[in-house]
Parts: sequence; structure tokens; C-alpha cells
Amino acid sequence: MIKRILLLRGTEILCLLLLASIPFAIDNAYVLGLLTLLTIYGILLIGLDVTVGYLGQVNLAQAAFLGLGAYAGALSVSLLGLDMLGALGVSMLTGLLLGALLAFPALRLEGPQFALATLSFSALSTTVLNEWESLTGGAQGLSLTRPALFGHAFNAPGFYWLCLILLALVWMAMRNLLASQWGRAFEALRDSPIATDAMGVSTFRHKVAGFAFGSSLGGLAGGLYAFNFQYLQPQSFTYDLMVILLLGVVLGGRKSLWGAFFGAALIVLLPNLLSNRLLFELISATGLLLAIIAGGRGWLKKTTPAFQALAPIIAMSLLVTGGYLVENTENWRKAIFALMLFAVVVGLPDGIMGFAARYLTRLFRIAPATLAKPSNLTDVLPLSPSDDQVLLELKNLTRYFGGVKAVDGISMSIQKGHVHGLIGPNGSGKSTAVNVISGLYAPTSGEILLLGHPLPHGSLFKVARSGVSRTFQNLQLFGELSALNNVMLALKDAYRIPLPMVMLGLAKKEDHRAQADALALLNLVGLKEQANVHARDLTYGAQRFLEIARALACKPELLILDEPAAGLAHPDAAKLVLIIKAIRQRGITTILIEHHMNIVSELCDVVTVIDGGRVIAQGTANEVKRDPIVIQAYLGVADDEPVIASS
Amino acid sequence: MNLDILAQMVVSGALMGLIYALIAYGFQLTYATSKSINFGQGELVMLSAFFSLTLLNLGAPYWLMVPGGLLFGAVMGLIVERACVRLSLEQKSEGWILLTIIFGLLGFSSAENIWGRDDRPFPSPISADALNFFGISITGLEIAVALGVFLIMSIIELFKRKTLLGKAFEAVSADRDAAELMGISATKTIMLSYGLSGMVAAMAGILISPITTVGPTMASALILKAFSVAVVAGLDSGFGVVIIGIFLGALESLTSFYLGSGWREAPGLILLIMALAVRPNGVFGKANIRKV
Amino acid sequence: MKKTLLATLLLGTLTTPAFAADTIKIALTGPFSGGSAPMGTSMRDGARLAINEINASGGISVGTKKKKIEIIERDDEGKNERGALIAQELASMGDLSGVIGTVNTGVVLAGDKHLQEKGITKIITPAAGSASMTQWSKAGTKDVSIFRFAAHDGIQSSMVIEEAINQKFTKIAILHDATNYGASGHDDLIDQIKKQGNKLEIVATEKFNIGDKDMTAQLLSAKAHGAQAILIWGIGPEMAAVSNGMAKLGMKIPLIGGWTLSMSNYIDNAGKNGNGTLMPQTFIEDAITPKVKSFIDGYHKTYNVTRIPSPVSAAQGYDAVYIFAAAVKQAQSEDTHKIKDALEDLREPVKGVITTWKHPFSKWDPANEQTHEAFRRSDAVMGKIQDGHVIFANQSDRQRLINNAAR
Repeated sequence: MIKRILLLRGTEILCLLLLASIPFAIDNAYVLGLLTLLTIYGILLIGLDVTVGYLGQVNLAQAAFLGLGAYAGALSVSLLGLDMLGALGVSMLTGLLLGALLAFPALRLEGPQFALATLSFSALSTTVLNEWESLTGGAQGLSLTRPALFGHAFNAPGFYWLCLILLALVWMAMRNLLASQWGRAFEALRDSPIATDAMGVSTFRHKVAGFAFGSSLGGLAGGLYAFNFQYLQPQSFTYDLMVILLLGVVLGGRKSLWGAFFGAALIVLLPNLLSNRLLFELISATGLLLAIIAGGRGWLKKTTPAFQALAPIIAMSLLVTGGYLVENTENWRKAIFALMLFAVVVGLPDGIMGFAARYLTRLFRIAPATLAKPSNLTDVLPLSPSDDQVLLELKNLTRYFGGVKAVDGISMSIQKGHVHGLIGPNGSGKSTAVNVISGLYAPTSGEILLLGHPLPHGSLFKVARSGVSRTFQNLQLFGELSALNNVMLALKDAYRIPLPMVMLGLAKKEDHRAQADALALLNLVGLKEQANVHARDLTYGAQRFLEIARALACKPELLILDEPAAGLAHPDAAKLVLIIKAIRQRGITTILIEHHMNIVSELCDVVTVIDGGRVIAQGTANEVKRDPIVIQAYLGVADDEPVIASS
Repeated sequence: MNLDILAQMVVSGALMGLIYALIAYGFQLTYATSKSINFGQGELVMLSAFFSLTLLNLGAPYWLMVPGGLLFGAVMGLIVERACVRLSLEQKSEGWILLTIIFGLLGFSSAENIWGRDDRPFPSPISADALNFFGISITGLEIAVALGVFLIMSIIELFKRKTLLGKAFEAVSADRDAAELMGISATKTIMLSYGLSGMVAAMAGILISPITTVGPTMASALILKAFSVAVVAGLDSGFGVVIIGIFLGALESLTSFYLGSGWREAPGLILLIMALAVRPNGVFGKANIRKV
Repeated sequence: MKKTLLATLLLGTLTTPAFAADTIKIALTGPFSGGSAPMGTSMRDGARLAINEINASGGISVGTKKKKIEIIERDDEGKNERGALIAQELASMGDLSGVIGTVNTGVVLAGDKHLQEKGITKIITPAAGSASMTQWSKAGTKDVSIFRFAAHDGIQSSMVIEEAINQKFTKIAILHDATNYGASGHDDLIDQIKKQGNKLEIVATEKFNIGDKDMTAQLLSAKAHGAQAILIWGIGPEMAAVSNGMAKLGMKIPLIGGWTLSMSNYIDNAGKNGNGTLMPQTFIEDAITPKVKSFIDGYHKTYNVTRIPSPVSAAQGYDAVYIFAAAVKQAQSEDTHKIKDALEDLREPVKGVITTWKHPFSKWDPANEQTHEAFRRSDAVMGKIQDGHVIFANQSDRQRLINNAAR
């Protein structure tokens, strides 16, 4: 534990000191210029990584936020007469507000659509900067002078140190933020926005916040950019720059502060590295060698597919042979850059830092952080006494998809403390029914009452907040998060510390307690030992159990289990029965959709049978099993006979 | 305000919009099967145009140059699929976005060095002289582009509907997993779509080059517009791109005249963001039901 | 050597390690890739041609030795940020004799301050934007090490306006691209209209973006307002789109603009629609003298082309090198500060392909940036496009240049 902190924090501090001391050692304006740009791009890319890495969206607006922040900073100096700190504040605020503004329309978008929305925003901002000549000077650009800080004018090293300090602060704030519930939420909504909402964590709030936060860093970097170059032109912040930034983040490694920093270093230094012939040859030869060693080893061991092993080797050999044939490498700079990028993206999908991190953790034997002691389960899920109250009541619920009547007037009630089975043949409408209850779909008509109060319609998030939690027939885990984080994310009422305090690192204690609670739940489903395993790496059965633990973390009044035994092997199915029994003991009401009749018989107090979107029978498991209508529904009727759905 | 001028502007803008639409159609083809698009599509247009120009300069007749160019486009499309897309799709990662951007970068730099950095004219048997229809000037080249756009889109749409291979294409577009269960190879269909998309890019290159000239940067402005058209129309909308393309082209032209040419793109961009906010899958795209 | 390499690796500074101390290091910078590359590469190749000639003849005599010129090449991609970094790199090299180049005025504005800070001598060519030099006169800088070797936009715009007035136009439209170059050209034109007595009325001012192919809207606006001529400021292919658009709309009015209209990407792409277009030129690819002929042939042969992509850039790059070399010879030093002093007072005339340069620069005067501008109105001529070539618009100019060279 101490070794871990020492190594991780030690490296950061060492790097910071090293960077800070360079101006003492070398008096060279160019080196200083590169370093200053490196810190600025570091901040910019850390911001970009929030959307690209954590939110998992291709964001093409970061260059625009850099530009807007730059202009905002420059103008606040020339028009408002602000000093350095004030101007940077304005830059950051500009990024924050415009980022939030853009996030609203972009919220519902994914993939190419999101990319386009951000791309359009950036084209729009270039147009405005270009056309608003009275303010920005238009295409002819804006010259400015670097403002002072508390009356202290900056020389070049001074400004560099300021940038470095800001980078360090951003770094710390980001580290704290990403280690908190916010970081988990960002990653969760990338892996499954539906499950995020269903766990009572608002995708809306976190997406806006994440995007706005990333953009504010873009704005801050913009302010620094303006005061560094002291000359701005709208054309500097267009698609070309954006592509380079995006490649920088991926090359360095997504979801990693080091990756963003390394990516920044690459895009700042690489053009200069390539303009020296000798160095270029050195780099390309090393690259080829690495590709051959890593690719060859992976291929022989069959850990990497042939293409993934071969493609980087081909790309790097092209680079080496091309390097000998071409007279002037400067002319081919973009192609060289492209070949190197290709090799890295194909060969190291986690980026250079992602690869290095894995390697280094192994090399230094850095153990994962030790976990908290699990809380007492009763403290997490207090026993609630069962009474004869009706917990959930459906009144004539319908849901139509076009002409298809998936749910066609279901009325039923579920008693508190019961495990209520919901069965029916495939396509009978039971999944749709629970999807309507849990808020994924809005009902076409009808009422849903929880303890007599109507449940919100058509919002997973609001329903989850009202005390209904669920699992999914097709798993909706947050694959990139550890099992522990999956549960911690869903933990209700565990996080109360406001955002600024989180960034200052004051949420650690709260997080520790949440961890203990989550471990108690993992223990309940028998996954405590796998707490640090990525959800996607768990066995299928374990993933099913993890979803149940995660749903329990919402501390629900009503738990909906949508075919939890589907695809489970026999020992796992037996384990599942035990888990559900344990849940019932705690007095949590459960709706169980299940096909395995033996499980239903063993667990359910009441069973409702649905077919054709209607309730066709209700009673104890044994009663419905003998019901002729149920038998007919299950065994089916010949195609040419009319379907008798209801008696 | 003169009605002639208005009509002239709408027509000229719309013809420009058809060029956007044709390039946008190339995006649609690959998105349908693989849910991926080639961010280097603009470079594909440019490379095919350069290649075709080289064929002409080598003395190939026009009728031979066209299939030659199309073949080149198809091969490039297949290379993109193999080198940049397939692995990412197998890994279910978004790597294709970056890899196709990288491919574009490589193509751009190669073109700069192989063919030079300058824009060059592209000879065409069709006259560039203007014809006059009711006071509206249209050049023969523009008419050729319009016809070419409809022709190639119709051929591909017919192919998709009438041939067995085309139906496989539609099946994979509709539901990849189900198609695979029916014995249709999704990988091969995706290859086919990238080949077709490369061909469409080449066709676009050959058709528009006489108007836009050929140079490494010839498509870099067009491609962003085409991307907008494809996404706003809906990446699965077929002929929807034509309508959106024409609309955007005409809108730009009119904005330029009435608001000032510096603001040319602004209303289009704002509309675009709004359209996406209201209809994330595009104006003509199918709304998908969230399934869990 | 090993230590140097290590140091360069560590710092990322990566200046080329000096292999021999007895060379004169000159940096050539400009956009060698991307949209303005035709100008950048022509300038670079023209300059290289001159450097190769000088090196082939043994180099420049400094003291007792003949020193060869070593080229440091940097591609700024036309991006301000890269330009600033490159300028910082060059400024911190320590043993650099001078810099020649830069195409984009924005890059000049972003980068030159770093060179000026260290007093590195730079000859700007072919960037023509006025702000490149006026930034120093406006700031009242006492001593400037930046020189310009290009017909700045002030000269060009005055010639363009003069031409329009001479042709008896009263209503004109201005079209310009949305870059720094276009916008500042637009301002210069307006300025010149005022200076020359407000005889022209601007009926339409329209912009276009880099990469625009359809100019119908802009042209219709000019047409609707009755423009008799179109004055244009932009770079390359977009201006060809303007010419083609004019032909399409049947607008048979003259197009007059900046020197960039002589670039092959305009001439080729406008084809016959480009005939008659007028623009100021400092060099026309017409072998009027043996010196010019040998330059043109040399360029064609060395770079395997049949026409120089941007003849003006190439000729200016070529002459700039010879002027710089003359300054080195006069200073008898590769020290950049001494070269600057020599440039401000060049005693020997320098025979170039554009003209014979007599005392092109003089001691910097903050009140008059012309002291560091080599070109005067008389060094530029009006060029005209005819059947794919730039010719002298006025035969008298051609004769004058031949006579000048003979003298």
C-alpha cells in the first residue's frame, strides 16, 4: 500500500520537479517554448480525455473551445482590463458555459451523430470568430500582450511555471474527480447509459457535467495559449488541429492522465523530432524493432491476431524503407506521422501509456489498492418487516408499438415482501411490462402505483429514484468498471459531498465508506474475492450475480429480476436461488421473470401468467401450473387455429 | 429583388448539394452494414480523381478511364475495410474512427508527394459552357453531375433490391446477427459495402473534378458538408441524402446572398445541430426502439 | 557526437548537430504541405537553386576561406502555432546566419517577434500582407532585423486600383478569401481607393472560404449591384472558381487582383476563362534576358517541371538568397547581426532575375517601414493571363526591364 502510493505519487512529483527545474538548467527560448506548449496541450488533452476516454464519444469541438477560451481571455484583458488570473477565469468560464450549452442538444446523440454535432459547433465558432470583426479582428487576427498577475509581469520562464502549476492543479483535481463517484458515472454511462439511469444515476447530469468540465479545461488551455503566442487567428482552431488532438489522446492512451500528458508531448515534439534525419531514422528503426518483437511474440504465442501482429510490422517497414528512398523526409511528414499512428493504434489499442502502465505495474509489482473492510450487511440493507400492504399496483396498463399490442391491459398488484413470479411464453409481453414499470418505455395508457403513489412515466432515472431497481435480460453491466465499482456506482445516498470539495480530494472518506458497503453486497452474492476484476472479465454466472448486487445497491423497495437464470449452468442456478432467498429474508419485494418452473415454484409466493399482453392466470405456482389456459398458452396451438389468448 | 437571381441561386446551390449527396451516399453504404463510416472518404475521392487523371494523361480514352477509376476506388475501399475497419469491428471498439482518419492522412500526404501540391484541371468531354434555361445558367458539367448522381444511386439501390447479393446486403443492414444465422457472411457483406462505397467515391471524384479541379485538398471542404448531409438525412436513409443535400446547398447559397458570404455556413450548422437534437437518427432515419 | 545526440533527445530541441563549423547556416521556412504549399515549395526551390549555384562555385568568401551555405528547412504548414515554434527554434540555434521565407502573413505575425528578440536576420518572402512590416513601425521598434523581399500589398493594391481607374470603371466589387491575406488585401484596397481620390464605388464586398467551389451567390451579388470590374484577393484555386463562375453566369467583366493570380493553380483551372485577368507581378516566366533564361531553365531541369508553380515566389526566393549572400560577403562574417548591418547598407549591386538590386534596404527607421522593404512600385509590373501563360500586360514594361538589365 505504501509502496503503491510512493511509486505513483512519487513519479508524479518527480516529474513535476524535473519539468519545473528545466529552465534553471537550460537557457533556451525554444526549449521553453516547447515545454510551455506541452503544458498547455497537457491541460487541453486532459479535458478532451473526459469526453473521448471516459464518456467514450468522439468529440470534435475541443479545438473550438481552445479558440473560444483564447479569444475570451484575450478580450477580457484588452476590453475589461482583467489581470492574468481574471482572464484565465473568464476563459475557463467560457468553456464551461458553452460546453454545457452544446451538451444539451448533443445529449441524445452517440457515435457519428455526436461527432457531427460537435464538428458543426466548431465550424460555427470559427465562423463567428471570423465574422465578428469589431470584436475579434476577424481573419487578420488579434495581437495582445500578456497580462500581469498581481502587478507581477511574466517573463518566459515565469509564464511556463504558471502553466506548469495550473497543469499540476488540473491534474490533481482530475485525479480526485475521476476516482470519485463522478468518474465512475462517466465511465458507466459510456458502457451502458440505460443501466446508468436504471441505477438512479442521472446520465443527463453527468454527461452535461462531463462535457462542460472537459470544455472548461479546453477554455483554460485556450487562455494560456493566447497569452503564450500573443497572436490569435480563427483559422488556428479548425478541424486540422482537432484531428491532431484526437490522435494525441488515443496515441497517449485514453482514460489516463499520463496518457493525455504523453499524447501532448508527442504532438508537440514529434514534428520537431521528424525534421532531424538522423533522429527520424533512429525512431523508425526502433519502431520497426519493437513492432517485430512485440508482434512476433504475440503472434507466436497466439495472443494477438495475425493482422494485429503483422500490420504494425508492415507499417514500420514501409517507414524504414521509405526513409531510405525518399530524399526529403520533411515533405512526407504527414505520411510518416500516419504510419506511426497506424502502427500504434493497431498494435497498442490502449495507447502507449496504457501499454506502458500495464508493463510497469508488473515490473514494479505494484499491487492494487487494498480494500476496505466490508460493512455489516444489515447496515446496508436494513431488514424491513413485511406486512400485508400492496407495494405495486398496475391498473389497466397498456403499451403499443405501432400496431403491436405488447402489453394490452394488465392489472395486477404485488404485495410487500413477496417474491412475485411473472411467467409466460416468449413474446407474451412480460419483459415489455417490466420495461414500462421501470421507466424504459412510457405506457400508452394505464396507471402504475407504488405504495399508492403514481410512478413517473418513461424515465428510468426517476423510477429508479422512486425505489424500483432492476436487472436486465441481456446483461447491461459496466464492462470497463471493476465489479466493486459497478456496485459502488449504484449505491444510493452514499455520495453527498459537493463537486468542488470532491475535486479538492475531500471525498475520500465518503468513498471509503461506500466501498465498504459495496463489498458487503458483493459478499452477499459471493463475489467479494473478485471485487477488482473488470465486469467484462467475469464469468457469465458471476456477471448475472453482479447485476443483482448492483440492483440491490439502489436499496430498492421493489427489485425486478428479468430472467436472472437465463443461460446459467446448474450450480450457478442453485446459487441464484440461495441469493434470491437471502434477498427475500431482508424483506425486499421482488418481481421475478423466469422460465425455469422449478425455480419459480421454489421461490415465488404468487405467480402471474401473461400471454398476448394480458394476464391469463394468477395464483401460487402449483395452482397456475395446473391451469388449462396456462397449459394451452405454453404448449401452443396449431398455426391454423385461432389463438385463444384470453378465456 | 429579381426572381431570376433567386432561381439561379437555388439551382446552383442545389447542384452543389447534389455533390454533397453523392459523397454522403458513400457514407451511408458502409454505415448500413457495419455501423462504421470512413472518415478518410474525402481522400478516397481525391485519390481516385488523381488516379483517373493519370490514366487520362497516360493516353487512356475516356470510356476506359471511368471503369479504371471506379476499379481503383473499389480496391481502395477494400483496403480501408481490411486495414482500418475490420479489426476494430471485431474488437467492438471505436478504433475505426481513428484508423480511417489516419488512412486519410496517409493518402493526403502520398498524393501531395506523388502528384504535387497544386490543383489541376480535369479534362472532360462535356462542355463547361453555360446553357440557359429560362434565364438560369447551368453548365453541361453540372447537368452531368446531377445525372451521374441519380444514375449511380439508382443502380446501387436497384442492385440492393433486385439481386441476391444485394438482398444479403439489406439483410446484414437490417440485422447483422440474424443474417449471420441465415448463413450470410457479414464480413463479406461489409467488404462489399466498402468496395461499393469506394466506387461511389471514385465516381464522385470523376464527376466533380472537372468542376472542382483536382488537388490534394479538393475534397477536404466537401467532405465535411457531405458528412453533415449524411447524418442529418439519417445514415440509413437512401435517397434522403438527395433531399437534404439539395436543401443544404440551396440554403447556403441564399444565406450567402442575403446575410453576407462570410455567414454562408452558419444557418446550415445551426439547423443541423437542432435537427440532430430533435431527431438523433436523422430526418429520414428510422427511429430505433431501445431494447434491453 | 553521442553526447550531443543524448542531449538533443533529452531536450527535444533537436537542432541538427553542426558537422562543420565553416558553413553558413540559412533556414528556409514556409508551408511545404497543405493549401499554400505551391508558393512555399516554389520559394524554397528557387532559393535552393541559388544556394546550389553558390555552393557549386565554392561558396562565399569570408575572410580567407570560402564557406558553403548549409540549408535548414522547416515546414510551418501555414499554421501560426508551428510558425511560432519554428521561429523559437531558429532563434535559439545560436549559430544561424539568417532566415529566408514565410508565405502566410499570420505566420509572420506569430513568429517573427522571436527572431526580432534575438536580432536574427530574416528576409520575408513571398508573404505580402502589409502587417508583416507595419507591426514594427507601429510598435516604434528602434532596431529591426526583419526585412521584406516581396511587393507588399500596399504596392499591389495601389496598382490594382490604378488599373481600375485607368480603365474608367466607377463601380467595382471586391471579392476576397476569408483568410488573413484576403482580409488585409481588402483593407488595402479600400485604403488605396481613398488615397487615389475616391473615384471608385464599392458596390459589393463578398467573401469566400478556402475550398469553396461554388461562387454563384457572391458573383450574383456583384452582378445585381452593377459591378463593372471585380477586384479579387485570395490564393489559388478558389479564384479559378470565381473565373469559371463568371463565365457560367455570362459576366464579361474584368478580374483584377493580387499577384497570386499568376499561380498555376489559377491559370490551369480557370483555363480560357482566365484570359485577360490582370495582376501585379515582380517576375514573369518569360526568358527576356539570359540570366532569366538560365534561371527558368535551371528550375525546370532541377525540379523536373515544365512550368514553375509560383514563378514570383521562386524568383523572389532566388534573388533573396543572392542578396543575403552579398550581405555575408560584405560583412565578412556569418554573424547574423553583422549581416543585418550589411543588408541595411549593401554597397555592391546584386544581379538578380527580377532586377539588378541596388541598395535594396536602408537603415531601419521606425517612422518609415519602407526602409526594410526591397520592392518599390517600379519593381512590379502588371501581368496578364493569356492562353495559360502570364505575359506582360504592357509591352513597355517588358522593354524597360530588358533595358534595365542591359545597363
